[in-house]
Amino acid sequence: MAPQTPAVVMDNGTGYSKLGFAGNDSPSFVFPTAIATKGPAAGSGGSGSGRPAVANKPSFLTGGAGPSGHLSAKRGTEDLDFFIGDEALSAAAGPGYGIHYPIRHGQIENWDHMERFWSNSIFKYLRVEPEDHYFLLTEPPLNPPENRENTAEIMFESFNCSGLYIAVQAVLALAASWTSTKVTDRSLTGTVIDSGEGVTHVIPVAEGYVIGSSIKSIPIAGRDITYFVQQLLRDRGEPDSSLKTAERIKEKECYVCPDIVKEFARFDADREQFRKFHVADPVAGRKGVTVDVGYERFLAPEIFFNPEIYSSDFLTPLPNIVDTVIQSSPIDVRRGLYKNIVLSGGSTLYKSFGRRLQRDIRHLVEERIRASEARSGGAKSGGLEVQVVEHKRQRHGPWFGGSLLGQTPEFRSYCHTKAEYEEVGPSIVRRFALLGGPGST
Amino acid sequence: MSQSLRPYLQCVRSTLTAALSLSNFASQASERHNVPEIEAASSPELLLNPLTVSRNENEKVLVEPSVNSVRVSIRIKQADEIENILVHKFTRFLTQRAEAFFVLRRKPVKGYDISFLITNFHTEQMLKHKLVDFIIQFMEEVDKEISEMKLFLNARARFVAESFLTPFD
Amino acid sequence: MLLLDYQNVLIESLLKDRFSGATPTSIDQVVSDFDGVTFHISTPETKTKLLISISVRCFNELVQYGAQQVLEREYGPYIVSPEQGYDFSVAVDLENLPAEEDARNDLIRRISLLKRNAMAAPFEQAFDEFAKLQEEASKYTSESAPQGVREGGVVRAIHYREEEAIYVKANYDRVTVIFSTIFREETDRIFGKVFLQEFVDARRRAIQNAPQVLFRNDPPLELEGVPGLAQSGSGEIGYITFVLFPRHISMQRREEVISHIQTFRDYFHYHIKASKAYIHSRMRRRTADFLQVLRRARPENEEKERKTATGRTFRVQG
Repeated sequence: MAPQTPAVVMDNGTGYSKLGFAGNDSPSFVFPTAIATKGPAAGSGGSGSGRPAVANKPSFLTGGAGPSGHLSAKRGTEDLDFFIGDEALSAAAGPGYGIHYPIRHGQIENWDHMERFWSNSIFKYLRVEPEDHYFLLTEPPLNPPENRENTAEIMFESFNCSGLYIAVQAVLALAASWTSTKVTDRSLTGTVIDSGEGVTHVIPVAEGYVIGSSIKSIPIAGRDITYFVQQLLRDRGEPDSSLKTAERIKEKECYVCPDIVKEFARFDADREQFRKFHVADPVAGRKGVTVDVGYERFLAPEIFFNPEIYSSDFLTPLPNIVDTVIQSSPIDVRRGLYKNIVLSGGSTLYKSFGRRLQRDIRHLVEERIRASEARSGGAKSGGLEVQVVEHKRQRHGPWFGGSLLGQTPEFRSYCHTKAEYEEVGPSIVRRFALLGGPGST
Repeated sequence: MSQSLRPYLQCVRSTLTAALSLSNFASQASERHNVPEIEAASSPELLLNPLTVSRNENEKVLVEPSVNSVRVSIRIKQADEIENILVHKFTRFLTQRAEAFFVLRRKPVKGYDISFLITNFHTEQMLKHKLVDFIIQFMEEVDKEISEMKLFLNARARFVAESFLTPFD
Repeated sequence: MLLLDYQNVLIESLLKDRFSGATPTSIDQVVSDFDGVTFHISTPETKTKLLISISVRCFNELVQYGAQQVLEREYGPYIVSPEQGYDFSVAVDLENLPAEEDARNDLIRRISLLKRNAMAAPFEQAFDEFAKLQEEASKYTSESAPQGVREGGVVRAIHYREEEAIYVKANYDRVTVIFSTIFREETDRIFGKVFLQEFVDARRRAIQNAPQVLFRNDPPLELEGVPGLAQSGSGEIGYITFVLFPRHISMQRREEVISHIQTFRDYFHYHIKASKAYIHSRMRRRTADFLQVLRRARPENEEKERKTATGRTFRVQG
């Protein structure tokens, strides 16, 4: 294999997959982690029941009807008849195909679908011969090692890829923050706030290792903000309150305000703050409509900081969660965790999100310091630095981190190669040397 | 089921049923240890005579009983190199998941494709005749699976070749 | 997906996006394609000037076989001097696109076929040579033909991968395309053999008009005297010969045939991998079956919960 081929970086998330080559500043392809398959389940498949067509009929349950019955079905080529990504969504809209999401809650649930998803990603979209390339894949924190082994089994045995590295998304998100000017030392210690479509995680990382016991997740993320915007639109009786419109408004108009009460006053004083949002014609033959956009501009992202305005069962604000997470981590890394709070994922992109978070966390910390100073009777604390890092690569943080590390000259020496896999077996991927950790670059 | 398969499986079944009379037996070599004697092989008086049931030179079963454990090794039929590689792939796939199978040995006995190790703890927790059923069913299904996979491969190859050559037409 | 695309999907979708009038943004990406081909898509000067460069392993060989002419024919006015480190570059100015929709789509298509066009030269040359030889041969009977006509043209070798090559040779009645391919893995070798056997048989069985396909482990006679041929002792290397007959090489067919035959190697390897994936999914299912059988061996642990008269629950010890 030619030594100069760039590594392939694949970040498969619950909602979207990011694919590309190491060294680039953005992924080449971003599309939903969805696969549309044909099959007997397709009739009800539109609902996305998630069960593979193959798994619901174990052969021995048919009472030993003999191989002839289901053999004919297996000799077909239906396993080649599928679409992934955006094509899957449009195929599933028509008849005959059912859509499946092989990843749930960040973890791969359906390996059959995932294997085919990867196969199509590699051969149709990236167009590479896996034998010529090294691969960098990502995994969520607390991914069971068996899942890693299954991944390695597929990558090495089916695709013969020449080398593999599996990195934790949170660690890659930390690496991605190195592009920010605020970050001076390239440390792999920090707290990652990863907010995507489905769920928000707060993950403390010390020296490149995730502190698994302190991870907390919050059931508020991008989708909830969209729903909240939609709800506000509906309440006002806007002409278009579809989910898609709500999503567009969220992406275009929303921002985080420093103080919610003052912001209301500001809006009332200055009518300019109310925006009109023009919905481009969704169905041909109908005129586009204009939707008023009001308080939801700052109210929607506010559900991170005041969840009670949206949800009745989850009430802890994000800054408090972050503080709890750091407080429950080992005492010797807490300073580093406060100093380097890194944002990642699409739902952290709101304007001033980082600033507000930093201020709120700082308030919590300073209050605690004051309380303990008072209790100690006169002792002075040296203070604690709280810093939230925002950077340009936040949206595809883990992918970009992977791209950054994948292009380093020593990347290949951190990978497990096909030969090593053959020698040791799948258990080899249980351990990876820490990429970008102390000692490298 | 072919003519010779039935007696073959029947023979394995009765051999296994007979061999699976296991009792809890503490190790004689070291105190408070309890190891499968067939694996430890530390004292010859605890091992019984091993027995091979063989259908032909390609298909045989080795049953090695001992006082508290039985080792069953199966050699799966392999007529050509395609079946050979498929058997190899499949058994590797299974042993990779040995954790879930309780009785599956991670490494086959030399000369065989896959081995099971059944100890007295397994027979205490599980129904003995069902365990035997499992082994027998495994033997039946494995052959079927391998030949189906081979058929699939041929069918797929034909399909792929024809699809590539059709545009030239 | 059954057949591989001829074009590069990324370039295609990127150009479609840019040509549709979206606000131009800067881009700087290095992406790969099959066979070690590397593209560099960038906007070096302004956001509206898109520079697409390609680097091919065997570009020198391709130039020798007339790649420059082919590329000039395809990209004419868009060609710029090659970027440092790359073999060939085209530049598109978004502010200066063809006005008609069709012309724009044609440009997208042509640029996304950059790799295909670069590799097409030796095939085109061989096909032309075939036409010439055919004409000459028609003047003679098969016995009296001079040596040069009977022997056919030279062998054009394209070392498009490190260990693999394509050889193209024209004769007066056919063009022979030979792929050498290597299998690093035992499974792939055996799967490959099954697949290739079907390629060989397909013509006999189903598609009479398809090119004849031959497969062997040692270099075929056509390649006699070609330097640098790997001799295969252990069957890792295979030589697959496609014999294209005049009907395949006619002027109106040749563009399609060239595109198609180029994808052979990757198509072949893709399907070996796809069938391994399918076999994996079968094994997964079968493993689940076995587990279920084994689970039946466990007696059902009936953890009966019983209640006392006061409403407290306790478990029956089994």
